[in-house]
Amino acid sequence: MTKTDAILKTKGLTKRFDGVRAVDDLSISIAKGKVTSVIGPNGSGKTTLTNVLSGLAEIDGGCVVLHGTVTLKKIRPFDMPSYGMARTFQEVRLFEQMPVIDNVLVVLTERSVFGALFERHGAFHERQAEEALKKVGLWEKRGGLASGLSYGQRKLLEIARVLAVSAGRQMDIIIFDEPFAGLFPKMVKTVSSIIRELRDEGRTVILIEHNMDLIRELSDHVIVMDSGRFLAEGSPAEVLERRDVIEAYLGE
Amino acid sequence: MEILSQLILNGVMAGALYALMALGFNLIYGVTRFFNLAHGVLAAIGGYAFFTLSKMLGLNIYLSVATGVAIAGLAGYGFDRLVYSKLRKRKASNLVLLVASLGVFTTAQAALSIIFTSQFQTLSETAGQEALSVLGGVVTRTQVIIIFSSLASMLGLAALLNGTSFGKAVRAISDDEEVARMVGINTGRVTGYVFFIGSALAGLAGILVGFDTGIQPTMGMGLLLKGVIASIIGGVGNIYGGVLGAFLLGLVENLGIWMIPGEWKDAVSFLLLIVFLVFRPQGIIKR
Repeated sequence: MTKTDAILKTKGLTKRFDGVRAVDDLSISIAKGKVTSVIGPNGSGKTTLTNVLSGLAEIDGGCVVLHGTVTLKKIRPFDMPSYGMARTFQEVRLFEQMPVIDNVLVVLTERSVFGALFERHGAFHERQAEEALKKVGLWEKRGGLASGLSYGQRKLLEIARVLAVSAGRQMDIIIFDEPFAGLFPKMVKTVSSIIRELRDEGRTVILIEHNMDLIRELSDHVIVMDSGRFLAEGSPAEVLERRDVIEAYLGE
Repeated sequence: MEILSQLILNGVMAGALYALMALGFNLIYGVTRFFNLAHGVLAAIGGYAFFTLSKMLGLNIYLSVATGVAIAGLAGYGFDRLVYSKLRKRKASNLVLLVASLGVFTTAQAALSIIFTSQFQTLSETAGQEALSVLGGVVTRTQVIIIFSSLASMLGLAALLNGTSFGKAVRAISDDEEVARMVGINTGRVTGYVFFIGSALAGLAGILVGFDTGIQPTMGMGLLLKGVIASIIGGVGNIYGGVLGAFLLGLVENLGIWMIPGEWKDAVSFLLLIVFLVFRPQGIIKR
């Protein structure tokens, strides 16, 4: 991979929790327009990595380089959209007491808070929300409260939220944190076709996943983490055959 | 019969003022989840800002009202930036914030006493004012203005919350502040604006009280308590519930003193609060 291909890089990225290095001196490169899976055993720091990238956990050391030019040592969560990043969460969190469609509309808000005082959600935003909800198959549920959705539907709604935000603001990097866990086979199909579609549109997808079949099927590149450190990377076929990777997974 | 309609009119009047207090209080509670006791002193700040501009500097009355309301809003915004937001950043518990807001309340009230003395001041030009007769009762022009500006504020706030994307962001933060932050809403900024709007409403209430009766630095506590009671019986954090609670409170406390002396008004209010806390703690409208 040449330098210009990397849309997101970490350089010596470190995050400590009470002395434990959850992410430890991690230097990785994410290729533009590809699906990159980050895998590793439980506690290997994958989710911490996504939290650091999205500003939910502060960076303790090193930095993140975006688009080859922007070097970040501090990321605030509400800055994510302006850096062209969007993400989903392992444990889905929605606005429970708001209608399904408002859960999507709220992320399409004007960036300036002052501007938002005078802005209505117009037909344009509603079309974006409609498109996103139709893609995940939740358009019929738009009027009901988010708290009335099933587990799988909640995951789909969160994905719709990310889709809406990325359609509106040209998000280049989309992070999916275990999007398939707990989904029915039909929903798994929906989500994997959404991920492929995003890639085909030229967006970069970072996928945190455990299911090896889905990783083989979807990813262009795989990065393996172990105890917060970089372990291996390469094409799915290469990496998933490697002995050290298998050992890390089996804990031998 | 005449006394009954007068009591009802007085109840609606009081309700309109309590509603202004409850609106701001509930709005702020919704996004921050703490009882902002300093909300009361903002009414006094609004009243004294108007007093300074209109009575001492001789500014136009409408301009003074607008500026006084804005000053109260800015004061509330300032309290949030200087005190509460710093505490929230350190993940202080709601109890800490409550105590801090009591500190803000006391300090600001003391400052008002030092600057303006504790003397009672009236804001209206003509003390007696022409009285209008409505349904057998008597209301003054000022009181009509109070009711209309209170209703206008309620409608304006409802339009803001339901019609704009800012309103959606406010409801999102009220629903789950953490998620709001995660999906890219600048929660600190939105909260600051909410403090401005809520405090401006309290400032308006203070000015209107000043027109009706008068102002003094300690006026905040009474208004705060009524606003809080209205919020609790209406359903804490629900701004529409708070408005209902405010009018219910106004009516009950005024009708409650039909047969007994007027100084029992506050006792009636707190009795209503206790009845709600025991039998319907979630309030009229559950959040």
